[in-house]
Amino acid sequence: MMSTLAQSGVPEIMGSITLAHYLFVSAVMFVLGLIGFLTRRNLIIMFLCTELMFQAAGIALIAFSRFHMNLDGQTFVIFVLCVAAAEAAMGLALTVLLFRKRESLSADEWRELSG
Amino acid sequence: MDPLIPSLILYLACGLGGVGVALTLPRRGYSLRAIGGALAAAAGGLVVLFLSLSAAERTPSELPNLYFYGFAIIALGAALRMITHPRPVYSALYFILTIIATSGLFVLLSAEFMAFALIIIYAGAILITYLFVIMLATQAPTEGDQDLLAEYDTEAREPWLASLAGFGLLALLTTVMFAGSSNLPLPGARAASADTLDLLPRKVERALERADALNEGESVVRADETNRTIVVADADGVTRTIGPDAWPEGLEATNVETLGINLLRDHPMTIEIAGVILLMAMLGATVLARKHVELEESIKAREARRLHDARTLHMEGES
Repeated sequence: MMSTLAQSGVPEIMGSITLAHYLFVSAVMFVLGLIGFLTRRNLIIMFLCTELMFQAAGIALIAFSRFHMNLDGQTFVIFVLCVAAAEAAMGLALTVLLFRKRESLSADEWRELSG
Repeated sequence: MDPLIPSLILYLACGLGGVGVALTLPRRGYSLRAIGGALAAAAGGLVVLFLSLSAAERTPSELPNLYFYGFAIIALGAALRMITHPRPVYSALYFILTIIATSGLFVLLSAEFMAFALIIIYAGAILITYLFVIMLATQAPTEGDQDLLAEYDTEAREPWLASLAGFGLLALLTTVMFAGSSNLPLPGARAASADTLDLLPRKVERALERADALNEGESVVRADETNRTIVVADADGVTRTIGPDAWPEGLEATNVETLGINLLRDHPMTIEIAGVILLMAMLGATVLARKHVELEESIKAREARRLHDARTLHMEGES
C-alpha cells in the first residue's frame, strides 16, 4: 500500500506515545517562551519568545487534530502562521523605528509607554 | 486511569527545571550557567525516564518511540538555549533548530503539509527577517570591544520570580494533562469525512486506469472511501459499481489533499480575511519603517538639486 511519509516505518513503535506526551512538550515550550518574555530585556528576543509560544500552541493544536482525526486543527495552525507572520512584520518594523529613536533595543528605554 | 507520572516526581521535575532555568538565564558577574543547564537537563531526564517506565508498563512489547523523544528533547533544549543565550543572533539560530525539531514532531503526527509549511514560512521567511533586523539594529562594534555585549542582553530581569510563575503554571497544567492517558489513533486511521475522494474524480480515474479497471469512455460518478466502492458511468450513462476487492492501491486521500479541501471548502472566508491581514501588515510595516529613510533621501535629493543649480548658474556666469 502506498503510504504517506508519516505512515511508513513509524507505526510499529508508535503505540507508546499518547496525546499527553505531545501536550507536555507543548506546555514546556509555552512556559519557556513565557519565562523568556518576562525576563529578557531585548525587544527582539521578547518578540522571538512570543513566536516560541505560537509554536507551542501549534503543537497542541496539531496533536488534538490528530487525536480527534479532524483536520480543522491543522487548518487553524495555517491561520496561526498567518497571524504570526503579520505580527512579526509589524513588530519588527516598530522595533526598527524604536531603535532609530533611541539607538538601543532595551525595553527599559520605553518605560514611559507603560503609562 | 493511572496518571502517567507520579505527581511527586512531576513536581520535583518542575522545581528542578525552574531552578535550572533561573540559573541559566544571563546574569552579570559569576555565571552559574553550567549548573543551571545540568539541573534543567536532569529535570528533563527525570520526566523522560518516568514516561518511558510507564510506557513500558502499559505496552511491554513496544519500544519507546525514539523519534518522539529525540525531536522533543532537541526542540526543548534548543528553546531553553534560545531564551538564555545572551547574543540575539544565536537566539534566533537556536529558534530555527526548535522549528526544525517541531516540524519533525508534526511529521510524526501525520501532518506533513504543516511540517513543510512550518520550515518554509518560519525558518525560511520569518526568522530571516528577524536575523536581518537583529543585524540592522545593533550598534556597530567599535575597535577593540567586538565581544562586548549590550547591558540589556547580559542581565535578565527577575529570573527567579519569572521561573516560579512559569513552572508553577507548568505544574498545574501537567497535573491535569497527565491525569489520564489517551492513545492517539494509529497512523493508518483516516479522518471520518468519506466524501473527500468525490471531490477528486481525476485522482480516482488515474488510479483506476493504472489498475486497468476502467473501460474506454467511462468516468467516475461516486467514490466511497468508507465502504471502498466506486461507481463509474460510461458515455451512455449506464453505471457500474466497482467493489472493495477491486479498490485500487494507494487511492486514499493524502494529508495535503484532505487539508486543501478542508481549507477551501470549509473555511473560504477565513482565507480571504487572512489575506487581508497579511496585506495590511505589509502596508503597515512599509509605512512604519519607511519614514526615516524617506527624510534622508529627500534631503539628499534637495542637496543634489541645489548643487546642480549652483553649477549651472556658475557655468552660465562663465559663458
